Amino acid sequence: MSLVEKLLSSARKHRSLAIALLLGPPLTYLTIYFFAPFIITVLYSVGLIGGRGTLTGNISIKFYRQALRWVYIKVFYNSLILAALATVGCLLLAYPVAYFIAMKAPKKWRNPLVVSVIIPYWVDFLLRTYALMNIFAMLGIMFRYDAVVIGMIYDYLPFMILPLYASLEKIDRSLLEASYTLGASPWKTFIHVTLSLSKPGIAAGTILVFVPAIGEFIVPTMIGGVSVTTIGTLTWDLFLKFHDWWRGAAVSVMYIAVVLAALAIYMRKVGELEI
Amino acid sequence: MRDRILAFFSALVYAFLYIPIIIVIVFSFNSSKMLGQFTGFSLKWYDVLLGDRVVWNAFYNSLNIALVTTLVSLFLGTLAAYGVIRLDVGGKSAVDGLLYIPIIIPEIAESLSLLLFYKFAGYQLGWLTVLLGHIAFDISFVYVIIKARLAGFNRSIEEASLTLGANEVQTFVKITLPLSMPGITAAALIAFTLSFDDFIKTAFTTGPGFQTLPLVIWSQSARGGVGPEINALTSIIIAFSMILAYIYTKLASERS
Repeated sequence: MSLVEKLLSSARKHRSLAIALLLGPPLTYLTIYFFAPFIITVLYSVGLIGGRGTLTGNISIKFYRQALRWVYIKVFYNSLILAALATVGCLLLAYPVAYFIAMKAPKKWRNPLVVSVIIPYWVDFLLRTYALMNIFAMLGIMFRYDAVVIGMIYDYLPFMILPLYASLEKIDRSLLEASYTLGASPWKTFIHVTLSLSKPGIAAGTILVFVPAIGEFIVPTMIGGVSVTTIGTLTWDLFLKFHDWWRGAAVSVMYIAVVLAALAIYMRKVGELEI
Repeated sequence: MRDRILAFFSALVYAFLYIPIIIVIVFSFNSSKMLGQFTGFSLKWYDVLLGDRVVWNAFYNSLNIALVTTLVSLFLGTLAAYGVIRLDVGGKSAVDGLLYIPIIIPEIAESLSLLLFYKFAGYQLGWLTVLLGHIAFDISFVYVIIKARLAGFNRSIEEASLTLGANEVQTFVKITLPLSMPGITAAALIAFTLSFDDFIKTAFTTGPGFQTLPLVIWSQSARGGVGPEINALTSIIIAFSMILAYIYTKLASERS
């Protein structure tokens, strides 16, 4: 009996040991390289960690007071609006496409059509944005707000199409036939059956687009230039340009709070979420 | 008629997705350096690419980080998925919630907290710090995909195998692993792509001298123009991905 088999046979007898062996390594890893860093960030944001990584021993809220100044609040507001525009844009473009792939396209075309949505995203994010910049420059809309919105829609579109497709494809076709048989018009059937059954997909897509879009850094910087400031560009500047760890940490903690609050409100409204 | 409009609209969206990519490919064969004016067909940027040490080095670093990240996060994420489905209801939702957090937290917030952590703990920034950050991000994605696959199949198949006298190892190798293979393949693809493409986290956690491909592209575009040899490299990567995608869909359709 090998060592592995011995371990497994004793693990079978002790279910909790098996679970500990399985969950121990990933949870330990995430504790060290994901959760501990956030605690460190909170410590920085309240001034408990000083210049050379030394503990200062006193807590202050001055970095939060600085981060709550009007300029910063405006940046937060702008980021939320931009993310909301990108999300709505993605939804409007993605829904018909997902609907077409799931409901109308011939069955053997479905898989290739889904894969074709993903292929452009194997090109580096920065290069895609760079290619867009060149198109926008030819059209003469560089550095404009609408160009930034289009750029963000472009970069997040698959994250909306894929979950929508997944939920539309699951819909039982006999429900649609039942609706027709009972005399509902195609439009009514769409609203009451298809749309309402695809809500989990809409919810998942909205979160997959909206949350990362709030902190978007690359598109506003490359396409918007200095004209568009988001939480992403603000954090980047505070950290990598000004090395202001403390104010940056405070902004970041507030940012996470905003994201979690938005998610909580959204989940309460939409209900159970399926990603 | 309505279906026609739908098909036409979908075609337009696909065009929107592909036009920038096509531009990158077309201009990798351009004879001049300008993106925007096609002056004639030439392979010279592919030649320049062959001799560009900076780009090759960055490409090698990206590939290296992405491969190691994929292997480690595949291992840890799969362990997590197998563990969570064995938990009872209460423990399941708690651990599941913990494992979802890295997906929900915005990348830039996660990246800067990693940087602060590395500074505080005295890590030397470079290959290792980039790698550790990428793995932390990828575990959760692997976990979610594999868990979804495991939730979809019937545990009684495993139980039948155990009842018929196979041991845990045999059951795992002969039953559980083959059944979760499509999930593992999908997870590996996503983990690799996320890592290979990552810019924000790498920018925050790298040290002097360690550059990945996105960092090179960023510094070139910040200086006013991405070299056409990067277009050439991207075209090669696209061609390669297309072949893989073709094989993948072929295999997937044969299996179903």
